[in-house]
Amino acid sequence: MNRVLLAVLLCLPAALSAQAPEQLFAEGNQAYQQGDLGKALGLYESILHNGYVAGDLYYNLGNAYYRSGNIARAILNYERARRLMPDDEDLRHNLQLAGTMITDKIEPAPRLFLWDWWQGLKDSFSLLTITWICYGCFVLFLGAFCVVLLGRTYLLRTAGLWCAGVAVLLLACTLLLMYVRVAELHRTDEAVVMTGVVTVKNSPDEKSSDAFVLHAGIRVQLIDRVGSWVKIHIADGKVGWIQENGVERI
Amino acid sequence: MAGFHRLRYALAFLVLTGTFRAAAQDPSFQASVDRNPVGVGEELTISFTLANAGTGGGKNFKLPDLSRFRTLSGPNQSTSMQFMNGAMSSSVTYSCMVQARDAGKYSIGPATIDVGGKTLRTNPIVLDVVKNPQRAQQSAPDNAGGQIAENVFLRAIVSKTHVMQGEQINLSFKLYTRLTVMNYAVEKTPTMTGFWGEDVETPKDVQLSTETVNGKQYRVGIIKRTALFPTQSGSLEISPMTLQTQIQMPAPRSVDPFDAFFRDPFGRTTNYAARSEPVKVMVDPLPGGAPPDFKGAVGQFAMSTSVDKKTTRTNEPVSLKVTVSGTGNIKLLEAPALELPADFEQYSPKVQEIINRQGERITGSKVFEYLLIPRYPGMKVIKPVTFSYFDLNRREYIRLRSPEIELNVEQGTAPAVPLVAGGGREDVRLLNQDIRFIKVRPAAFVRQGEYLYNSSGFVLLLLLPLAGAAGAYVYASNRRAALSDVAGYRNRRAIGEARKRLKTGERLLRETGAKAGGASKSAPRFFSETAGALWQYLGDKLGIPQAEFSVERAAGALADAGTPAPLVQALRTLLETCDMARFAPTSVDRPAMQRAYEEASRIIVELERTLNAQ
Repeated sequence: MNRVLLAVLLCLPAALSAQAPEQLFAEGNQAYQQGDLGKALGLYESILHNGYVAGDLYYNLGNAYYRSGNIARAILNYERARRLMPDDEDLRHNLQLAGTMITDKIEPAPRLFLWDWWQGLKDSFSLLTITWICYGCFVLFLGAFCVVLLGRTYLLRTAGLWCAGVAVLLLACTLLLMYVRVAELHRTDEAVVMTGVVTVKNSPDEKSSDAFVLHAGIRVQLIDRVGSWVKIHIADGKVGWIQENGVERI
Repeated sequence: MAGFHRLRYALAFLVLTGTFRAAAQDPSFQASVDRNPVGVGEELTISFTLANAGTGGGKNFKLPDLSRFRTLSGPNQSTSMQFMNGAMSSSVTYSCMVQARDAGKYSIGPATIDVGGKTLRTNPIVLDVVKNPQRAQQSAPDNAGGQIAENVFLRAIVSKTHVMQGEQINLSFKLYTRLTVMNYAVEKTPTMTGFWGEDVETPKDVQLSTETVNGKQYRVGIIKRTALFPTQSGSLEISPMTLQTQIQMPAPRSVDPFDAFFRDPFGRTTNYAARSEPVKVMVDPLPGGAPPDFKGAVGQFAMSTSVDKKTTRTNEPVSLKVTVSGTGNIKLLEAPALELPADFEQYSPKVQEIINRQGERITGSKVFEYLLIPRYPGMKVIKPVTFSYFDLNRREYIRLRSPEIELNVEQGTAPAVPLVAGGGREDVRLLNQDIRFIKVRPAAFVRQGEYLYNSSGFVLLLLLPLAGAAGAYVYASNRRAALSDVAGYRNRRAIGEARKRLKTGERLLRETGAKAGGASKSAPRFFSETAGALWQYLGDKLGIPQAEFSVERAAGALADAGTPAPLVQALRTLLETCDMARFAPTSVDRPAMQRAYEEASRIIVELERTLNAQ
């Protein structure tokens, strides 16, 4: 891990001379393929440092961390990639695989099947695609509206009206979808545990009794904050407090 | 004999306590020995007696320091009770059997016991241990022990006293005798803490040999042989073995013939407990640098592996045998860990060992049989099995490696047995998988926080169709307004409609030209169209409904609209010409039709100009 950090630091000057992210990305990929993980990590991180993001970038970064044995950081980056491209099959596979490598096996609390359906639907397109679908629905609605206005025959105008109705419905659905996805993209209450072993306390106090123990790589939800302590919620419903520096926000 | 002494002492004690009972109602605690002085190597019993302790008895009994004696047994506790004159008195005796090691005067310190909150101490005893057993035996003239001890003894002999951990030591117990040993039985087997001992087979009949010790010849028999393997390092002790022997005493030569006569000619037999000395063995720990798979095997070993079949089906078990054979601590060998392909299931191995206990060295083999169940088809490779041991001859660790084992697993039909090991099915499914490769496609980079939906370009893109729709709306509302203004509509459309009808007239004119002499046939229709064009034009332009239309009204309206009089006159003439030609077609020819058409065109153009000029 120190080697990796060193490589990151060494590559920072290169990052500061703002290069095209595409070029850095290609170089990083090449380094990864040659097995030089430290260099690949440095190059990928430098793209982020320059202020660019991409689902593929986070995915590759996750792979590089996975290969260098840092499962927690790999999971963090996969989760970040998932926000940008939840529909990616490779990403889903890698995230699942990395999940089997971590110590904690948490059974998520059961949810209604409708929830799973919704999740599947929500994640089946990228935000970009959803945006375009939304735009398409908008144009369709306006087009149908024009037909209603300008139609020469009664039949044409009726068809236009129906079409506009359907388009409005579709537009409402896709707008909702888009809203949820955008909200998800900007949410700051999800984090991954980075410290190897962390004892979760019952209250935000070092002297408080221990609630349970978590290991690096587990995803938690931050639900409250007191000083340097955050209240976390894990998938199986357990709740406790840990130091904020033990986790990193997705 | 010792028992007898104890009994005698106890009797004496009872007599004493009985005598002084009246004076000794308080609890008393006293120490005594069964004989004093005592010879070196002889047993004696030290007793500590607590009397009149009441119902509570004594607690927390502590022995004095007996380190200068060898403790053979004890402390043993015995209780006696007696009733005298209706009163009960009881006594508890703690006794230790010890053996004196060296000559000298020893003070046996006080033993302590707590009775009813008070700590009682015994009187110290000075014990005289003398070199000459003859003197010591004065108190026990019957005891021929000293004489026997000289002639019969047991020795524990180890092949080495300084070994490495795990190295074999041969321990043998030899009975040396100059007397006739009638019979013997092991009374107390030695304890060998820190060793793994394997008894070596000895012949049923003790083979006797002859050895000379201190210038005396002894017959020697090996009673017991054990191969020892130290399992820990440090100074280890093998405790003594006690052998109960029955010895035939030689008849002492007597000058008295009578005496000789009445004596048993074969001498007396007597029981004698032969006891070996404890043996100390120094055990060195194994050197560092052990391979990770070293589990304590020391000696010389060979390993072989085999599988019962090279080709199997999924969910059908394969047996993998690992055989380790050689010389050394076979019994302590542990099963080597297998490195299996991830989708293999493994059960704990079945272990079979064969140990050869004959000869100087323990040899044998251990077979570990692993049952493996492949879950998925494919060519599977079991990584080489490794086994490490410490070679005593070479003084180094040796690591044995088997060749790789290849298994061809075909898809079988047997259903999968539920997995025994922990972990969910999902985990198992992923076990043998690796992460997918990185994305090398050109990635779509965006600045952090800038997405399509919140870019200014997208907002413009949204406005574009909105503007289009707005335009359509404006156009449609204009059109609707125009449709609601009928007069304006007719006015604007008048010229177009008139032209359409004139076009029909023109077509009829051309047809007439093509068929010579056919003028009379198409003339009525031509003039009807031409007149219709004019009427319609005037109706539309002046806003006169068709039903109220007449030449007079049209002319009046035109004059009101400021149309020049000659034009109105020309219109009148043309309309009259048309009417005439319609009802008397024979009077017209083609040039007349041509003129009428041109006149109609001219009038409409003129009218359009003057009416629109207002």
